[in-house]
Formats: sequence, structure tokens, C-alpha cells
Amino acid sequence: MNFKHKYFFLFPGLFVLIGILIFPIIFVVRLSLSGWNSYNPGLDFIGLDNYIRLFTDDPRFWESFFRLSFLSVTTVVLQYVIGFALAHMVWKDIKFKRFFRVLFLVPMMTTPVIMTVIWRTFFHESLGPVNDILSNFGFSPKWLTDPALAKLTVIIVEVWQWTPFMFLLLLAGLLSLPKEPFLAAAIDGASPVRKFIYVTFPLMAPISIGAIIIRLIEASKIMDTVYVLTSGGPGTSTETSSFYIFIKGLREFQMGYAASMSFTYLIIMIISLTIIAKVLTKLLLKE
Amino acid sequence: MELVANNLSYKPDDQYHLNEVSFNFQEGNLYTILGRTLSGKTTLLKTIAGLLTPDSGEIEFDGKNFLKVPVWERNVAMVYQQFINYPHLNVFENIAFPLKQRKIDQSIIYEKVMDVLKSVGLVGFEKRKIQELSGGQQQRVSLARSLVKNAKILLLDEPLVNLDYKLREQLREEFKNLFSKGLADKTILIYSTTDPRETMELNGEVIVLDEGKVLQVGPAREIFENPNSLKVAEISNDPPMNIIEAKILDNNIKFEGINLEAPQHLSKLTEDGLKIGLRSSDIELGESGHEFEVELAEIIGSETLLHLKRGDTKIIVSIEEVLNFKIHDKVKINFKIDRAYAFHNDGKLASSPFGGLNG
Amino acid sequence: MSKLYTFLKYFFIVFWAVFVVAPFLWALTTSFKDFQSVNGGVTYIPWVDFEPNLEGWKVLIKSPARGGVDIVEPYFNSLFVTCTASFISIVLGTLSAYALSRYTFKAGLVKNNDITFFFISQRIMPPIVLSIPFFLFLSSINLLDSLVGLILVYIVLLMPIAVWIMVDFFNKVPREIDETALIDGCNPYQAFLKVVLPNSISGLIVAGMFCIIFGWIDFFFAFILTFTEVQLLPVKIVALNSSVTPWWSLSASALVSVAPLIIVAFIVERYLSKGNLSGAIK
Repeated sequence: MNFKHKYFFLFPGLFVLIGILIFPIIFVVRLSLSGWNSYNPGLDFIGLDNYIRLFTDDPRFWESFFRLSFLSVTTVVLQYVIGFALAHMVWKDIKFKRFFRVLFLVPMMTTPVIMTVIWRTFFHESLGPVNDILSNFGFSPKWLTDPALAKLTVIIVEVWQWTPFMFLLLLAGLLSLPKEPFLAAAIDGASPVRKFIYVTFPLMAPISIGAIIIRLIEASKIMDTVYVLTSGGPGTSTETSSFYIFIKGLREFQMGYAASMSFTYLIIMIISLTIIAKVLTKLLLKE
Repeated sequence: MELVANNLSYKPDDQYHLNEVSFNFQEGNLYTILGRTLSGKTTLLKTIAGLLTPDSGEIEFDGKNFLKVPVWERNVAMVYQQFINYPHLNVFENIAFPLKQRKIDQSIIYEKVMDVLKSVGLVGFEKRKIQELSGGQQQRVSLARSLVKNAKILLLDEPLVNLDYKLREQLREEFKNLFSKGLADKTILIYSTTDPRETMELNGEVIVLDEGKVLQVGPAREIFENPNSLKVAEISNDPPMNIIEAKILDNNIKFEGINLEAPQHLSKLTEDGLKIGLRSSDIELGESGHEFEVELAEIIGSETLLHLKRGDTKIIVSIEEVLNFKIHDKVKINFKIDRAYAFHNDGKLASSPFGGLNG
Repeated sequence: MSKLYTFLKYFFIVFWAVFVVAPFLWALTTSFKDFQSVNGGVTYIPWVDFEPNLEGWKVLIKSPARGGVDIVEPYFNSLFVTCTASFISIVLGTLSAYALSRYTFKAGLVKNNDITFFFISQRIMPPIVLSIPFFLFLSSINLLDSLVGLILVYIVLLMPIAVWIMVDFFNKVPREIDETALIDGCNPYQAFLKVVLPNSISGLIVAGMFCIIFGWIDFFFAFILTFTEVQLLPVKIVALNSSVTPWWSLSASALVSVAPLIIVAFIVERYLSKGNLSGAIK
């Protein structure tokens, strides 16, 4: 079909999106070439100074980026493994199937920051239930103030919050699989383990890739959980890229520098996600 | 009224879906478009409907440029091979949909829909949901929806192909009745199919289409008796006509050590690279015949299709009864050689038993 | 083997279920506590460990002037922004998705897939990258700290989700249905309204649910782009967290604010088994 009406379907959405985005995107690039800060707000032109500073004189940015990579890869891997296991378990008939399915979806429906407010009380060193129970065994970990444990806490909260999304995508995938390969496997008398390795997992590969990429994209935005849970602390031990840019830009009002960081960050994100997608496709779709 | 097409071409990718297609269709006639899958049948019907715009060529209807008229104003009707109906509407609403679109009075709509329901045999099903109907009933609804409009052009795109054998026979019979019942008086009926038998039974004007090109146009009987090329002979026979590479020497047809006396209409052909065409139904089992080896035996309905081999020659024989054979069995067969066709090396018909060309 | 497997399976399921429920249960008990039962050692079971009271819940509807936390207005702000932005995103996104699924577009090297990718790729954009220019952009058109400004930003967040789900949905609806509508005398707009839309309700519901989820749970943009005039629920609750609000009212308000989306979980689960989601992921 090819009628002129097609433009009236496409354009409203496209133009609204472009209309809202075009100014900010051009602006962020222009801003990154300026020295806009709280003393000197304005779009002067300082060339690539911000970028030079970023690449030569700001280890904190790169540390925050590697921390982000560590956190998002760890959480997404955990979410994938747990999510797949859960989805596989409630895929076929089990007792209270629908109850468990709904229950396992619930965390992703809750606002992360609000849940984090609760997690803070949950992991509270003296008044929270976790340490109350652990103290019976003689432990009382500093969940939010010890650098290594703070990272772990962030990971636990992220896994709690977003495993449901992985679970949802993978369960939807499992439910859409064709029945024939499983019948064939059953006729061949394949054991459940072999059935999973040779039938279920390969069939799920394209969906797995999609789900992992989607989650990586969302995970790389980790920011509000960290803000509420640890404020990047202790020190900078849970500070992610977004959070660092936020501090520079909207706390210290070094808008120009923050813009150059966000632009660099965006480019790195796009490149690394493309590479990850390629690698995953190679790994999981090997014939 | 007539529907005239001139050199329609459509090539969305690197393959022609339509290649210089021309035709002249008159009202009150049934036209059958015969071709294999992907031969361009659906493309042609969609082009006539206005769903596709050809890259070049013209279509005129009633003396007016049809390409300037958008689909929704063309007053055509179309039945697809998938059973396409509106899933959110019940049977009555489905059939009434095109009439409502024309803002026709409620009572007239009711009358017309009930009328057409009667002619497709679905009285009493008005309130049913589409999903509750069987495939055959769904296709009847979609036929009813296209009949109710009194469209000037009625397009049927392999309407029976997705039905099981019995239903297909039954619906084909009903189609024939409908078409002959004066419905066709003011309508141009265009019916596409891959099935040669269907073509013969519908007995209309046939257009043989292959790779987007028109190979032959003529009455069904003519296509059957005098296919103008090997391709047409293949397409218009099911199973396809057997093609045997043979030589004619001293009034004898020779292949694989077999000698058959050439019938009169073949006797004058002596050229090299000649191909003999013989329908699978024109070969029969016999006690004293030529020995062939069975490669495969399929039973289809009440028929047995024997795939046979001798040397490099492979043929298919259809037998009107159910017989059991094992692979590698030896069978003896006789050729009704007076029914044989001959084709030139380039695929053009050389001679046919029904008097085509040098007969 | 299979007995052990079944045991492990149920063990894991129950373990995870407890993990999922734990923070909610904790918040629920906490919301009925008072100063003594929070600060005098950890308590769990109401009536046994502590005497429950409704103080935490009562302050939710009191005005700040009378010592309440007043989450009613932020609540309705959040509902309004989420629903409006979701609605606009669904309407515009569905139209664009329909065009991309049914028609061919070509402008130079740009084809359908590239346009679809442009829509969806907006999700890749980290919020921080957009927040700084949006902050300056909205302040330049006087929409900082306003509902309208937030709705504009949320459309950028949500429309990609709508387009993503609906393109996939429309790809699975046979195009012959639209063609039949055209043949039956509908122009493309009528075909869309009378035939395509009524048959797309399950797709629209799924897309709508996802828009509502991702609109409702956003904190970052609301946090950066609003101050005093307009407050959304997550911002309000985080503000409570950093002030001296007692745990019981904090827990009560948190529970109230995550509650409505539990309904969404039920809806999503229902449509999950109808297979309306899977294709879009690949």
C-alpha cells in the first residue's frame, strides 16, 4: 500500500519527538563547547577545553564510568540468571502459578526511589531487620557506610527491583516458543537438563539477547537508587557516571563541563552497547 | 464495460512481480488466472483492486483511467486465500460493513445481507462471532461480503486453497452455481488459482501467468488441448506433464531403448532436441509393456501417483485406483502415444494431438 | 533426580517470593509503629512485639500546617502527569507505529527500520544527558517547575515504548484486514479507526501499561525539573526521607504510592500469556 495518507500517520509522532528533542540535543553539544558555570553563565566559546580536561585531568569521571560498568554488568547478569530460572519455573504448570507470576512482577511496578527509602530502613545498621537477624550470629555489617558493602547493597536493591523486568521478557519469550521442538525432544526421551541445553536455551537465544540489551540500557541509567541509598558514598565508592555528571552540572553548576561529560558518556554508551550486542549475538547464536 | 490493462509492470525488488502484463476483460465473463505460487497472481489482483500501484503501464475501466481512482472508490470486491474477515464484528456486521460504508438505509442493508446469507448458505449464523466459525464458513462470510456490494469487479485470490479437499469440491460447485446464476451478468469475475483442475471446471477464459509474464490466453479447453509451450503444459497439468527427451527416426519415437511408432501428428518432426510431452493419465499399467522401476508411490484420494524411472528418464503415472507398490518394484507400462505432444528445443509447441500447429 | 529438582524448584520460588515480599512486610509493620517500637530495638509482630497504631497513616492526609505530610496533591500530580503523557504517547506512538508497520518510507538512505530505530533509540539516552539541556530549555520557555514541562519530557520517555510495542503488534495483524477495509470503501483513516483500532485493543493495553509503569516510577526528571510549585510523588517521598519524618509515616506514604501499580502487575500478567509481548524483544 502506498497512499499519501501515510505521512499523516507517521508525522505527528515523529515531529513531536523531534520537536521536543532537537533543541536539547543541539544545545548539549553547543553547551559542551562553552565554559558556562555559576559565576559565568552564558554560551561563550572555549573550543574543546572541556573535552581536554575530561580526557586528561579527570580520573573521577573514568572511575565512575568503570564503577557503572561493573555495577550494570553484575546486576544484569544476576537478573538474567535469576530471571531465567524464575521464568522457567513458573512457565509450566505449578501450584499457584498465576499468584507467583504476579508476585514476581510486582517489584518492577514500584517506584525505585520510594522502595529505596524503605530499603534504607531495612538495611539500617542498628534499627533494621537485616542486622537484627545477623546480630544473632555475631555479625553487624555496615551495609551503607562500608565501601565494598555499599556496592553490594546497591546490587541487591537493583536485582530486587529489576529482575522482574527480565523475568517478564523471558517468560513472554518462553510462552511464545513453538511446541514442536519440545514434542520432538520428549519423543526422543531427552532428560530435562538436556532439553534445556539443546532445546529451550537455543530457542530463547534471540529473546535473551534482546532482554539483556534492554536491561543493560536501563541499568546504565542507575542514578536515583544510588542517590537515595548512598548518595554516591561512602566517599565516591558508589558514584556512577550519571551521578557524577549530576553533581558537576546541577550541584556545582559547571554546565558546560557537565554537558561535555554527558555527550562523551552518550557516545561511549552507544559504542559499547553496539559492541555488546554484536558479541552477544555471536556468542548465543553460534550455529 | 471493460477492464483493459496495458503493459503493467511491477518490480519492487530485483524480481519482476508483473512483467508487461496486458489483458482485455469484458463484463459478464469469468477469467481464471492460472499460475504457480509467486507467479504474480496476487500482485495482479491487488493491482486491479488498487492496493498496489504498478511501476508502469495503464489500467482503464469503463473508458476511465483506473489508476487515478483510489481503492476505496473503485467498487471492487476481493476474497483472499486466508480467510480474511473483521474479527471484531459478527457475521451480520461483517457482511453489512461495505454497505454501511456507503450509508445505505438500515432496512435495505438488512434485506441485502439476509439475501446474500441465503445464497452462501449461512442463514442462522448472523449473530455468530467470526472466530466461532470453521474455515469453510469463514470463507463463505468473506465471499458473502464481496457479493453483497454488487461490485463491478470481483476478485477471488485462490479462495479455496486453504480448505480441505471435500470442502473445496463442495464450495467450488457452489461458486460455479453463483457465477452462472446471473450474478456475473454485470460483473467481471477474476479468479486466481494454482490448480489446473479448478481451471478446467470453472471453464472460463484462462490467463496463464509465470514469473509475472502472461504465457498464454484462451478458453480453458484450448489451454488444455494446445498449450503453446512446455511451461504452459507444466503449469496447466497436475501432476505436471511428463517430458521425455526423445528422437524421432524412421517414424519411430526412440528413448531409453524403447521404440514407439510415431502417430501421424508427430511423424514429420525430425529435429534434434525434441521433447515429447505425455500426461500422466495417458500412461497405463499393462502386462506386456515397457519395464520401469518404481521410485515412489503416493496415494492421493482415490488416485495413485507412481514415480517411475528408466535410465535417465523419469515419469509420473497416475492410476485411478489405490494400489500398493514398493520402492524398486518393476512395473510394465504402455504409452498412449497418439495423445503425445511434441515441443521444440526452445520449449515452443511443435505439435499437439488436438491439432495445434502441424497437426 | 526429579524429586530433588522439584524440591529445589519450590525452595527457590518460595525463597524469592519471601525476598520480594520482605521490604513490603517490613514497611507495612513499620507503618503501624510508634517511636518506642522503632527506636527501642527491632520489632516485627504487631500486638506481640509492639502495640500498633494508625498515626503513620493519619498524617498522610493532614496538611503540613497541622503536622501532616500531605501527599494528596503530589499523588494527583503524579497521576495527572503519568496519564496525560501516556495517553499522548500512545496516541502519537500508535499512529506512527501503524505507518511504519504498513507503509514504506524512503528518504535517501533512511528507510522504515531507521525511523523505527530513531524512535526506540530515545530509550538509550541517559536521563542525565537530557536533563541539563531540558533544564535550560524549559526555563527559557517558562515551563520549569510546571506540569506541562514535565509532560513534554515524559512524552520523550514514553513514546519510544509505545512505538516499540505497537510496531511489533501491528506486524502481527494481517495487513489483508486493512486491505479488505480499503476495498470495502474505507479511506485509510477510516480503515484505521473502524477496523485496525478495534482489533488492537490488547496491544494498546500492553503498551499503555508499560507507559504508565515507566511514567509513574520516574524520579529523576521530576526531581530536576520541578521545585516548589509542582511536586510529584517520588520527589515528595524522597524529600520526606531526607527530612526528619518518622519511619512510620515514611513507610505508610511509600506503601500508598506503590500500591496503584500492583493492579498493573495483574493486567500485565493477564496479557502476558496471550503472547502480545514476545515478538518485540527480538
